[in-house]
Amino acid sequence: MDVTTGTAATDARAEALVSSYERAGYARVSPPILQPAEPFLDLSGEDIRKRMFMTAAPGGDEEFCLRPDLTIPVSRDYLASPEAGKPAGFCYLGPVFRHRRDAPAEFLQAGIESFGRPDQAAADAEMLALGLEAAAHYGLREAEIQIGDVALFASLIAALDLPAAWKRRLVKDFNRKANLAQDLERLTLGGSNGRPEYQGVLAALAGSDPKGAHALVTDLLSIAGINAVGGRSVAEIAERFLEQSALGASTRLPKEVRGLIERFLAVKGDPDEASVELRALAADANMNGALNQALDLFESRAGFLAAQGIDLKRVKFSTAFGRGFDYYTGFVFELTDPARTGDPLVAGGRYDGLLTRLGSAEPIAAVGFSVWIERLSVYGGAQ
Amino acid sequence: MSAPLVLAVPAKGRLQENAEAFFGRSGLQLVKPRGARDYRGAVAGLDGIEVAYLSASEITTQLAQGAVHMGVTGEDLIREQIPDADARVVLIEGLGFGFANVVVAVPQAWIDVRTMADIDDVATAFRHRHDRKMRVATKYINLTRDFFARQGVVDYRIVESSGATEGAPAAGTAEMIVDITTTGTTLSANALKIIDDGIILRSQANLVASRTAPWTAEQRETARVILDRITAQQRARSFREVRARFPACDARLVAAARERFSVETPFGGPTSSGMLTLHCPPAQVYALTSFLRDNGAEAVAVADLDYVFSKENPLFAKLQAAL
Repeated sequence: MDVTTGTAATDARAEALVSSYERAGYARVSPPILQPAEPFLDLSGEDIRKRMFMTAAPGGDEEFCLRPDLTIPVSRDYLASPEAGKPAGFCYLGPVFRHRRDAPAEFLQAGIESFGRPDQAAADAEMLALGLEAAAHYGLREAEIQIGDVALFASLIAALDLPAAWKRRLVKDFNRKANLAQDLERLTLGGSNGRPEYQGVLAALAGSDPKGAHALVTDLLSIAGINAVGGRSVAEIAERFLEQSALGASTRLPKEVRGLIERFLAVKGDPDEASVELRALAADANMNGALNQALDLFESRAGFLAAQGIDLKRVKFSTAFGRGFDYYTGFVFELTDPARTGDPLVAGGRYDGLLTRLGSAEPIAAVGFSVWIERLSVYGGAQ
Repeated sequence: MSAPLVLAVPAKGRLQENAEAFFGRSGLQLVKPRGARDYRGAVAGLDGIEVAYLSASEITTQLAQGAVHMGVTGEDLIREQIPDADARVVLIEGLGFGFANVVVAVPQAWIDVRTMADIDDVATAFRHRHDRKMRVATKYINLTRDFFARQGVVDYRIVESSGATEGAPAAGTAEMIVDITTTGTTLSANALKIIDDGIILRSQANLVASRTAPWTAEQRETARVILDRITAQQRARSFREVRARFPACDARLVAAARERFSVETPFGGPTSSGMLTLHCPPAQVYALTSFLRDNGAEAVAVADLDYVFSKENPLFAKLQAAL
């Protein structure tokens, strides 16, 4: 495929769309196309290299890339500006670059990033409303609306009585769309954790005084002359070694907890139905306190969605939606057209953790979305 | 004269010696008519072949680009250097030398880590604790990335290493490594251990054909001859010829020998005078001779084979299927 024949020429309808964002108070920005590769690799993982166009200055060590998205560049520019930490909203329209097997590598994206707004639920709802307007702008009035809320799952897991290692595991598996069913299986069945030679030691240590066990393992490693190898300290190794023993002793997840997670992940429907189901689940599991905050936000957001004129009956919520989107922390949404490819036309959500990972000392709320101009441009809407 | 088939052979070291010995055994003697320092050669007595002496890495690149037709190189390089390798080249045959595994290795002191699932967990914990990602030193960037992705490990960064990768954890430039190892000795010497399910690839030298090279009818015919000779030699090496004559020999006895000793009967059953020729795997030869004598053979002769040519040419069939 000729990577240079894209749709990345200027697009009058896209220009009109972004002008409407400017009129709504979002400042238009155009970050450089050439970006340091590090933040993308750090946030998305090494795997993104497969899709990025990488380069380096002659004789230079630092890796650069053609921006694969605009969220990270816009966020970095905002962080570097005097406005960092204050509420600010930006919009953009420009080419992004990703290697794709069956489509041009250069294509247009438009979008909005909103930082530092304290009124989370209202901001979330506004993003979805603006996303719907983008689809309508291209003539698609009945896009399918899929939403999720990553914070609900996080709250549920945090409230469960499970070893820390399993909580880490479950949250991570949720984020990467893999193995969750298998992990639940393993938790219940208590399968072998694959280290037979230490099984006796671990069993002996399980249930012993944690401080004493830690000191013993640390001492053993120190006697072997090992201080810090490969960047992990002896204490760190000892701690996790003992954590494994904790896992070994309690691999059986009580049936009711597994049932609870499965029941939770099966919740879907419009936001009102889902809310009723989740409240019932929280009450049955005695978790009202733990889930209350996340559920209040969920319901408040639904109210703002209705206030934006969105028919809640059209909104498909699922607790399992949002899996695989790594840095989202709350609301997530996607607009698709099932009658066509089903690929996302507009996608966005809340990523309150992003700016901290980009180096902000204080957490900064962030929410936004991006619009796949090339996918929307097949619709023949006016304007 | 039409364009020759280009056969790429490693230009130096053990790989070159082994490759030349391999072709030599198949009656394909590589010669350099213009002197030992020349990087172009030929095959004695066989026209239409140009031998190109290149580094294993360069052979891999040129196979992918279709600049050479066939070549000898390691599977590790094929998988690392060529994106979507199976679309561009076809591995005709493992050559039985240049064995090495590409493995994930961590410091032996990591007593809590034995599997890739442990690495996954440790990597995430490491990021939370140290506010940076665990570093993996390797020259196998693509193999590492694909393997880690398959294992669901995401919290790591690759540090490119062009030599002495095994020293990276001790030097503090990486937490763990992905490297090639034959015996594991170098890893142990550097206080590293291999992850139980961390063998990314079991590699060996392969005869590889390019799917993208221009294959003319003449070049295909030349390839057929080369692969015919290699097949004949390989078949010869995996069998000894066992000959005997005895009156009691019949089809039932031959069937029993085939069953018990995996013998082949290249020339069919016994002749009218009771002459029997069997091809037997080397490890079974003595047992077979005992069996034959117990059943009435007075003398049994065993001989090495040089070549066994047959109608089938499975290696060429593999090439043809890929082109």
